Amino acid sequence: MTTITDTGPAPTPIPAETRSDHRGSWIPTWGMVTTRFMELRRRRGLMIALIAVNIGIPVVFLGVRLITHAVDPKSYGPAGGYEIFTTLVLGFMYIFGFIVAAVVGCTAGSVDLTEGMFRHLVITGRSRLALYFARIPAGLAIVIAMVAVGYTIVCAVCVFAAPAQLNYDGVNVPVGLSRPALDSWAADHADEVLCNFNFNVTGSAAPPPSVPCGNGQTSGPPPGSTIETPKGQVVVPDTTPTQGQIRAYAVTMANQDYADYSTNFLVPPTSLMVDVGLWITLEATIGFIVGLGLGSLVGQRTVPVILLVVLELILTPLFSRHVISHLVNLERGIVGVAMLHIEPGNLPTPFSGGGPGGGGGGGLGRLLLIPESTLTSSLVIVVWIVFWTAVGAWRMMTRDA
Amino acid sequence: MSTTTLAGLPPAPAGDSGWAVETHGLTKRFGENIAVNDVELLVPRGCAFGYLGPNGAGKTTLIRVLLGLTHADAGTMSLLGHAVPRHRDLALARVGAIVDEPRFHGHLTGRQNLQILAAAREPAAKGRIEPALERVGILHRANDKVSKYSMGMRQRLGVAACLLGDPQLLILDEPMNGLDPAGMLEMRDMILSLVAEGRTVVLSSHLLDEVERTCDAVAIVDRGTVIRQGPISQLLAGSSFEVQVECSDPAGAGGVLRATPFGTHLEVGPDGLAISLPEGTGRDAIAEINRLLVEGGFSVYRLQHIQASLEQWFLEVTRRLGEAE
Repeated sequence: MTTITDTGPAPTPIPAETRSDHRGSWIPTWGMVTTRFMELRRRRGLMIALIAVNIGIPVVFLGVRLITHAVDPKSYGPAGGYEIFTTLVLGFMYIFGFIVAAVVGCTAGSVDLTEGMFRHLVITGRSRLALYFARIPAGLAIVIAMVAVGYTIVCAVCVFAAPAQLNYDGVNVPVGLSRPALDSWAADHADEVLCNFNFNVTGSAAPPPSVPCGNGQTSGPPPGSTIETPKGQVVVPDTTPTQGQIRAYAVTMANQDYADYSTNFLVPPTSLMVDVGLWITLEATIGFIVGLGLGSLVGQRTVPVILLVVLELILTPLFSRHVISHLVNLERGIVGVAMLHIEPGNLPTPFSGGGPGGGGGGGLGRLLLIPESTLTSSLVIVVWIVFWTAVGAWRMMTRDA
Repeated sequence: MSTTTLAGLPPAPAGDSGWAVETHGLTKRFGENIAVNDVELLVPRGCAFGYLGPNGAGKTTLIRVLLGLTHADAGTMSLLGHAVPRHRDLALARVGAIVDEPRFHGHLTGRQNLQILAAAREPAAKGRIEPALERVGILHRANDKVSKYSMGMRQRLGVAACLLGDPQLLILDEPMNGLDPAGMLEMRDMILSLVAEGRTVVLSSHLLDEVERTCDAVAIVDRGTVIRQGPISQLLAGSSFEVQVECSDPAGAGGVLRATPFGTHLEVGPDGLAISLPEGTGRDAIAEINRLLVEGGFSVYRLQHIQASLEQWFLEVTRRLGEAE
């Protein structure tokens, strides 16, 4: 140990600077947020990935459809419409929007450390919490802006390039009909309905009458044949059905399909577009916040990104549909499962193949999810956001620089 | 326990804000390894202070503890009169530092990196970016990406980052690393100019020659412990030195001196003698050598007192410490 002696006369004490500029406050300054935004925005690879997923791929997909439809409208359907909306948003933007947002979060949470800037920032005397919290608005500004731009383009194309008529089970049907109106329309287009609409023969119903459907095909079983019905074997009468019988049967079929028909929209309704927009924004926000916290905790980007990709592409689809009795509460605690439970109504669920005709359409998809109340889902989402924010901030506070 | 004095520098009693850096019993451990061991350090304001030690001596660790980059296990410290870590924000508001190799976001330009750091400081820091870049001589490359900077340019950018806070205290860890001779000269001049402005510069280095040219006072650290500290001139004054003698018949003169205490460390050359005198030897010894030679009938043409360099002194001190253990 070294001691100091003979220090001589005391120097004139220099008054310490006691005026605080609030750099100990946990609230980041506007300048910190904007410069952090700049730092993230200038990462070329990251921005290319963000733009590609949120804007580029949807734009290319829709652009190709617009061009092909313009060139050959008989062979290629319209670029927009409800089906395209659900396919793009649920089958692509929702899932990959989360992953890219998570990559941005992991980057924001770890690059100061890996690139040696963390030390410079700590030396400024600024609160480490403020340094952490500055990343949240900066990162979200980028992620949400990208999601918003991409989603707006998708919505615009889906609305303005929607098909003129709804193609339901291969038949062009007017959109938005009430049940009586659909019945009336079915009666007027009885042959098309009989040839194309799905129909489940119930115990009380006779087999559909046979009408020519073109190419030598007929609706229903051929006259004179024997078919199995819930009542037993029935011989199809070898008589030509009257026009009244055909119309009546078409109305019966339309009635049975009305519930499914009513979930199909020519263009996605405004309220649904708003709800879905908020929903995928929330999904991207969660991806960013969790990525930020995990990146800060681990101190590097690669491992957290891999973990979050596994969560989104493997664990969430797996646990959202397969109940493991001993782990059901753990399954409910997965944020992706909770997000599926608060999905806006009348949409097919992600991970189910996408699109109304792709299985899991409408409420059916949700019935396949493990049971969870909306309140529980909301709590799970809030807990994930708060927990990962706290973990990231704690690590930032305690980490050696 | 070693005792040193700081007479000749503007001292201050412990606890006064007159010290730029003040530590008492500062200790930092990494498991069983004690990187900073009970350090008592007083750095006066307005001087260039060298913090010297071999690689692994704990120089950087002490700086990291001072700056709040890692926590101390024991002891107290203050920067510019503010207790750290309690008033860390106030203390660091007027401190600039480079720790280890300065690294920045490679995808951003030098100016953009400084904008990030200025945003974390007070609003006035933004207005200091251009002057800082100009002062360190990289204004013409300020819009280039840092990934294209050489090591020396990153060092300069690191110093520019230090200047953003208009610091009263600069702590520079190995600032000469990566600099070419001209760059080292410029860095030395800049450090001296900063001191001339009334700022305090603490320079951690193992380049003893540079420290000797730049600093007013030094502390020597070895294995986490400060073993000496004080003004360079005062520390060297008490060290061993050499007397070179140019005389007639050097061999004969050597024979005369071998019979005296001066013969212990005597070398005879074709043109004269080289006599090493131990630490604490006064100037009278030189006169005594002259008297012995003249009385022995030798003609003395030149007597020269060669003071040990800081490097020689450092090696001597650390060698003795090693022998004592």
